[in-house]
Amino acid sequence: MRSRRFQASLFMVLTTVLCTAVASLPADAQTPKRGGTLRVSYGNEIANLDFHTAPGYEMMWVAMNVGCGLVNITPDGKFVGDAADSWQVSSDGLLYTFKLRPNVLFHDGTKVDAAAVKFSIDRLMDPATKSGMRSFYSPVHSVEAMDPLTVQIRLKHPYAFMLHMLAAYRTGLILYSPTATQKYSLEDRKAGKPEAVVGCGPFRLVEWVKGSHLVMDRFDKYFVPGVPYLDRVHIRTIKDPVTEMAAFKAGEVDFVASFSPEHVDTLKAQVPRAQIMTGKETTPMMATMKVTIPKDGKPMAKERVPHPIFGDIRVRKAVGCYGIDRNEIVKIAFKGQATPWVGMIPPGTLDSVDINQMCPHDQAKAKALLAEAGYGPQKPLTFELMTNTEKSVFNIIATVIKEQMARIGVTANIRLVDKVTWMNTTLQDAPWDMYVEDLLSLITLDSNAYLTTTPSTWNTSRHTDPKVDEYYARYAKELDAAKRKAIAKELAEYMADKVYWNVVSGSPFFMVAQPWMKGYVYNAEFEVHYHKVWLDK
Amino acid sequence: MRIYILRRLLGIIPTVLMITLVVFVMMRSIPGDPVVALLGDAYTEEDAIKTREAYGLNKPIAIQYLIWLGRLAQGDWGTSILSGRPVLQDVLFRLPVTLELIVLSMVVALVIAIPAAIIGAKRQNTWADYSATSVAMIGVSIPEFFLGVLLLLTFSVGLKGALPSSGWVYLPGTCTSVVCAAGLVGNLQHVLMPAIALGVGRAAILTRLLRSNLLEVIRTEYVTTARAKGLGERSVVLKHSLKNALIPTITVMGLQVGFLIGGAIVVETLFAMPGLGTYGIDAIIARDYQQVQGFALVTAFAFVVINLLVDLTYSLLDPRIRYGS
Amino acid sequence: MSSVHEIPVGAVGELVLERPAVARSESPFAQGVRRLRRSTTALVGLAVVLLLLVVAIFADVLAPQSPITSDQTKTFQRPSWAYPLGTDQLGRDMLSRIIHGTRISLAVGVSSVLLALLAGVPLGLIAGYYGGRIDTGVMRVMDLILAFPIYLLAIILMVIFTPTAGLLGTIKVVGAIAIVRIPIYARLVRGSVLSVKEKEYIEACRAVGVRDPWIIVRHILPNCLAPIIVTTTLGIATSIIVEATLSFLGLGTQPPTPSWGWDLKANVSFIHDYFWLSLFPGLAIFVTVLGFNLFGDGLRDALDPRLK
Repeated sequence: MRSRRFQASLFMVLTTVLCTAVASLPADAQTPKRGGTLRVSYGNEIANLDFHTAPGYEMMWVAMNVGCGLVNITPDGKFVGDAADSWQVSSDGLLYTFKLRPNVLFHDGTKVDAAAVKFSIDRLMDPATKSGMRSFYSPVHSVEAMDPLTVQIRLKHPYAFMLHMLAAYRTGLILYSPTATQKYSLEDRKAGKPEAVVGCGPFRLVEWVKGSHLVMDRFDKYFVPGVPYLDRVHIRTIKDPVTEMAAFKAGEVDFVASFSPEHVDTLKAQVPRAQIMTGKETTPMMATMKVTIPKDGKPMAKERVPHPIFGDIRVRKAVGCYGIDRNEIVKIAFKGQATPWVGMIPPGTLDSVDINQMCPHDQAKAKALLAEAGYGPQKPLTFELMTNTEKSVFNIIATVIKEQMARIGVTANIRLVDKVTWMNTTLQDAPWDMYVEDLLSLITLDSNAYLTTTPSTWNTSRHTDPKVDEYYARYAKELDAAKRKAIAKELAEYMADKVYWNVVSGSPFFMVAQPWMKGYVYNAEFEVHYHKVWLDK
Repeated sequence: MRIYILRRLLGIIPTVLMITLVVFVMMRSIPGDPVVALLGDAYTEEDAIKTREAYGLNKPIAIQYLIWLGRLAQGDWGTSILSGRPVLQDVLFRLPVTLELIVLSMVVALVIAIPAAIIGAKRQNTWADYSATSVAMIGVSIPEFFLGVLLLLTFSVGLKGALPSSGWVYLPGTCTSVVCAAGLVGNLQHVLMPAIALGVGRAAILTRLLRSNLLEVIRTEYVTTARAKGLGERSVVLKHSLKNALIPTITVMGLQVGFLIGGAIVVETLFAMPGLGTYGIDAIIARDYQQVQGFALVTAFAFVVINLLVDLTYSLLDPRIRYGS
Repeated sequence: MSSVHEIPVGAVGELVLERPAVARSESPFAQGVRRLRRSTTALVGLAVVLLLLVVAIFADVLAPQSPITSDQTKTFQRPSWAYPLGTDQLGRDMLSRIIHGTRISLAVGVSSVLLALLAGVPLGLIAGYYGGRIDTGVMRVMDLILAFPIYLLAIILMVIFTPTAGLLGTIKVVGAIAIVRIPIYARLVRGSVLSVKEKEYIEACRAVGVRDPWIIVRHILPNCLAPIIVTTTLGIATSIIVEATLSFLGLGTQPPTPSWGWDLKANVSFIHDYFWLSLFPGLAIFVTVLGFNLFGDGLRDALDPRLK
């Protein structure tokens, strides 16, 4: 017979042991809490919600949560299935067969089946859709629905980056519901009518009021059980950096999807417990020079003549290669948080190669080349350095370059314009000499082929060298990884040698989260997924 | 008199139309068009041409304007080229925000100006007078956005979120969206700093005006008579003078609305408010023609109507002024 | 659709009344100057304005360094002997930028108002004097401009002109602000003209055969002088604020031209770490605008005592 006292002591001991055991559990064995609203801030407006055609990162970050595709990519470059459960590639690399999960549904209740996949890809490939993804599907010959859960993509030639493209070029493939697409118009989708913007992703669109908010709620029938943890994601646009920082510091915002690199240090000091997420640089900062101009002055004319200043490769090399001090730019503009770089493949992109030794900062060499090209104290070189106001760092880099040009006796006049004017000028072959911009992120070199190949409108430098196109084509078709890397290196060296694409550095990217936001894994600036996020409060 | 009012009311329409026409033409004089931004990565020359045709952007400007006018007559304010959103819907959503901001800014201005003017008028040319006018003068000499930043830092950051830094909570009943944060307290919290930033600048002018009008009224025989009747000093100043001085002051303030609308653009941008100001400037910079037209239409209409009300109120209150004869 | 009420309204909504043409022992001008000298506010304002003028004229001498040369090794320096107001993100001396910024701000403020004056006064004179269809035509255009909220028109104009740097950029800003201010002068002058036009001595002049332009300049113009001067002074203050605000929206004078408005906007995002970088341009704007406002107020009190 145990005395009461003994029972009490035993109880106390057991409780203490249990508590100690529980308390000493490792911290990351926390179970995600379900529920809550994630408050997100974007620095720019979402253009519109037709995922297949709308421009801009902000749209992409919504598309990859409302929509779903065939496959996704992890931060270390591995492919995981999205709507597709598994896939097989034929040995000749021409046939990609995807087996879909049986339980994937669109937000309007219709099934995500092979017909829907075929519909979506056909739509993207259709010129009438005017999708920015169309050029990526050029290797595709046809898509076939073998049975309701099996879809086969036939390529015209082997394409090493088919899966990369489907997973992450821009939005990656976003599946559209044939029912919803036929029922509602393009304008309905653009305008963000919830019945029209239908995807198969973890969140469904509740409402978008441009300039005010975008709200998406958990899709209860999402095919991955248990996720998303969040009830709701509430997105707003805060353009002014002071306001954005104030909102974050005051705890009004949980997550900032694109945080200005110049203010990261300030934020660290102001909010010590903030999670500041970044990764390898996948965006190049460029100082591009125009190589040709239209022969008869008519924009986009096929006949070209060399640009009066930068048509001469010696001048390009003098100014862009040797004249620019990349280390100084990184120190001033990025406070050392970027990598000085010459290769066109940024440090964080697949098959990146360091060829910085090809363009060391060499004032003597720059001056010598300029003299060779006929410039000097008697005939000083003057050019216009254009940049836009989208990011304040562009103007800083331009100012630094201006100073560096002065050291080699060159005058650079800065012309600061807004983004729309910049796009109109560069895309429509209007007069410009050099611009500083960071264009787009590269997950692979191939993803930006449309920026550099000769016939593309986005080939802003308007070079006419078919060898570049050849390199791209070979790179995309080479299935052997080692050989691909060699082609990439050759292409990078060729571009640096010809100075068609003048990279100055990588461009750092930051996302900022409150300490109570858990479960977010930073992938790259073009991948923002909320389905594993939960709020620890 | 009634004929005069009717004529003025009818006169609103041609003025508003003229303004929208001027804005229409000016927008198309801006280098660059929205098609490039719309197509983004997909931009190719041929797609751009097709898109311009689809949106009717290559027709002569006069025809485009007439088309816009025709649709407007049927109640269709058009849709934004970039976002596909109906302009009228968005304008209606944002109107309450800007309206409240402007009204409350005027209130803030009055709250500062009335005591300052009374002190100034009662203790004319004394130290108190000078300080009161000085305080008001200081307000008008600071750019609105700088004042806004200082307020932001003091109340949002400095005082640990005493007031929210951005966004909006709607007055119950004014929100037309599905996801509505509404509530009186929240609304006041969100509008307070913007209204102060915008209103302080107008306070100086109000103070000055009110003070001189007060002095004017005090000197008139009418007030002397009141004094002779034995009414207390306080009553004389507050009850009779103030009321009479306030009315012409406010009517002239109506002409200040132009500054307020413009200032609203800046303040709304700073505090990330979903109002007409941000709507307008975003549209202008993006060259979103339809959106700008909607914005111009609303702003011009409001402006012209307020001018009319000012004129009418003035004539109603001052019988010495006759119209139309 | 012009307002019929002939109460002339000045730049800041003030009632601007004309002086009665009464004979006095000393000239109205001398009277005005006497009153001015006794007004503390006016004197303080005048002192500030003169100081700014001196700084603007002698900027090259006063500024310790060049405002646009950047020293990459000395970015974000705290205020010190070498850099009394610190340096900005590009290593430029803030004190020199503020001193040189005086030039831009005064230039923009003064020239925009002068331009408006040069265009608006003749328009008002012609409209008021000749009346009829000329009057209606001119005032319709003026009303159209006035119908635009000041910032809206300035913003659209700047987007059309495309903001640039340097002299051209400054000229564009001046032009945009001037266009918006023209109607104020036109209306002011027209009001004045209308009230004097029907006076008997004007009729007498005409009867005798004095030519119109002479009548305008000799008899009518002096009457408007006082309100014009006051409006101009206050208008300078407004112009400076508009320029700063345009810069905040990214539509003003572009860098590297040392503009207070641009410096304020560019550095306000660093206000947590380097608050002096935005504080000093803000103070500069504040002091300048205050100076012109005080002086303008004093002028108004001196020239139109009835308002006091």
